Amino acid sequence: MILSGKGGTGKSVVGTALAVAASERGQRVLLVEIDAPLEASRYLGAAPVGTREAEVRPGLFAVNLDPTAVMDEYVRGVVRVEMLARRVLQSPVYRRFFAAAPGLPELMVLGKIMVLEEARASRFSSRPRYDLIVVDAPATGHGLSFLQVPLAASRAVPVGPIGHNARRILALLQDADRTALVIVAIPEEMAVVEAQELRRAAVDELGITPTALVLNQCHERRFTREQEAEILRLAAEGAPGRLARGVGLRSALAAARRHLRRRKLTRFYQARLRRALPLPTVSLPYLFDEDIGPASIERLARRLEAA
Amino acid sequence: MRPAGADRASRALAAALGERRVLVVCGSGGVGKTTTAAALALQAALEGRQVLVCTIDPARRLATSLGLASLEGRPRRLDLSRVAPRAAGALWAMTLDTRRTFDALVEKHASSEAARRRILDNRFYQQVSSALAGSHEYMAMEKLLELSADERFDLVVLDTPPTRHALDFLEAPDRLMGFLDTSVLKWFLKPYFVAGRLTLKVATRTGAFALELADRFLGLQFLQDLSEFFLAFEGMYAGFKERAEKVHALLRGEDSGFVLVAGPARTTLDEARYFYRRLREKDMPFVGLVVNRVHPDPLAEAGPAPRRSAAIDPELARGLLRLMEDQARVARRERRGIARLEADVTEPLILVPELDADVHDLRGLAEIGEMVLGGGRVRARRGPRKAELHAPARR
Repeated sequence: MILSGKGGTGKSVVGTALAVAASERGQRVLLVEIDAPLEASRYLGAAPVGTREAEVRPGLFAVNLDPTAVMDEYVRGVVRVEMLARRVLQSPVYRRFFAAAPGLPELMVLGKIMVLEEARASRFSSRPRYDLIVVDAPATGHGLSFLQVPLAASRAVPVGPIGHNARRILALLQDADRTALVIVAIPEEMAVVEAQELRRAAVDELGITPTALVLNQCHERRFTREQEAEILRLAAEGAPGRLARGVGLRSALAAARRHLRRRKLTRFYQARLRRALPLPTVSLPYLFDEDIGPASIERLARRLEAA
Repeated sequence: MRPAGADRASRALAAALGERRVLVVCGSGGVGKTTTAAALALQAALEGRQVLVCTIDPARRLATSLGLASLEGRPRRLDLSRVAPRAAGALWAMTLDTRRTFDALVEKHASSEAARRRILDNRFYQQVSSALAGSHEYMAMEKLLELSADERFDLVVLDTPPTRHALDFLEAPDRLMGFLDTSVLKWFLKPYFVAGRLTLKVATRTGAFALELADRFLGLQFLQDLSEFFLAFEGMYAGFKERAEKVHALLRGEDSGFVLVAGPARTTLDEARYFYRRLREKDMPFVGLVVNRVHPDPLAEAGPAPRRSAAIDPELARGLLRLMEDQARVARRERRGIARLEADVTEPLILVPELDADVHDLRGLAEIGEMVLGGGRVRARRGPRKAELHAPARR
């Protein structure tokens, strides 16, 4: 399951919640972050995750794929003799080539994800090591080029190990039985535009049909219709006085009107996405927690579970 | 809302907008970077400068915030008459077309028509130049160099790609320079790659070893393609390297400035802090840090509890209080993150409150610009460039 969307849509939070929800259902889940060692583990209150898979909760593993480390591991796997491998890894030609070659880091990371997807539980088992792998992809703009890399690489280098692997990765991404692309958006103009653009490009350019849309940070109804009308009426009157905690009624009404406007935007974009993106959609609430921690993730996971 | 020193920070940013020639707006994705870039560019244009704002984002975000369906790969002048009928300056906007920029670069530096065709027809080039991540950064710096020399504009505001680590952009010139710096290229330009058919019979044992390894994890065909690709560029490397060096110098010059943009979420604040440190380490001219979309604390001005509460429905009153407590918690969460950032950044931050509505037209951009600049006013520098400028936000 690959999560993609504009930066700032809370992909990491959503990805972590999805992974938690699946692991609570008894699945063995791997949460993959790319070059971001802190986020998921912070939300789960675990120690920072390194470049090796680590169990952060029962049944939930996490890994941070750092492209350089993945490439080094690949070289070690190919060369096998540590001394020779080290010679390659330490050569400035290798380092500079890897740093400057466009697309190579992305291809390496996707290749590693493919390897993880194909991994078995043990040498003699046909059971997959992970029932579900959740990938927190880089933000769109770059997220799309991230997914475009296998296609571009298979065209640029049709033969040889790179082309071969690029085609295998592409086949994995396009296989709806093995890969689900989930678009993450929030109820805001730019994020919604990007979600639409992402779906179009995924379908038209990459041959990948997104599976679902998660609309994160939705402002949900907190007042009844009558209360909402009352808020607007009181606000128009400029009602004086204070509420229990010494809060001015006027500033309370201003806060409530802010909420109503946000709520209206949420509904507006929900409707627009329903029309523009014919995808199963899950709406997740905006989090008012003082700390985005395990409790927040649990709450989102339960919402995802219910959906 | 505005912390102590914010006016000073806003004035420094306004001064940079009035005087510098290049402003690079950096930050992680989703923090309102494009909007901030466009809003600042608009402010400078309203005050009399000839401004170009260039976005590199393939998702065409700037187009949305400028109320245009799409932006072209060429600068397009915007009609400012609706926001300011008597605007003293002018504003152009464009998005970077990575492929076209790359092609133009090849056209400019190719020694002959044959050399030009050889590159443009190269399969590897066709993919690298348009599709691959990483090309955007290289071409962004190429375009920046070109635009900064364009006579029409006296300020170029560059919105950078939404990389997770926005540093990729800053490091692109160095990476390219490292790559073009002989050793890697020499290796690829060795004769055994190019003699038509590839052979493993190479002169030295080391060469054979390196080649065998490369074959195993990259494939000889790939290396051969790559080598042909590099050979096609032969004669152009000096030109490329010179361009990379020029960008390197341009970005460190006193005519340039970096504006960092962050959002109130902890991740983006942490990234801004990291970015700020790297800017300082690399001696890049920092001109301001904007934190967008900060939520106000509605309980901040709460007084003592009244003896008698306002006469409204108690159920509604409880709902209102719950809402305000929720909003206050968000404000506290954000304030903690901002305080961590403040501890590391010597200059005051510019905090911009969350707006009630999305911004997607020029009028909205003008309002945001005013909010960012606060008390600071852009004083446009006109006439010939002065060699010596004062650099307001530098220590």
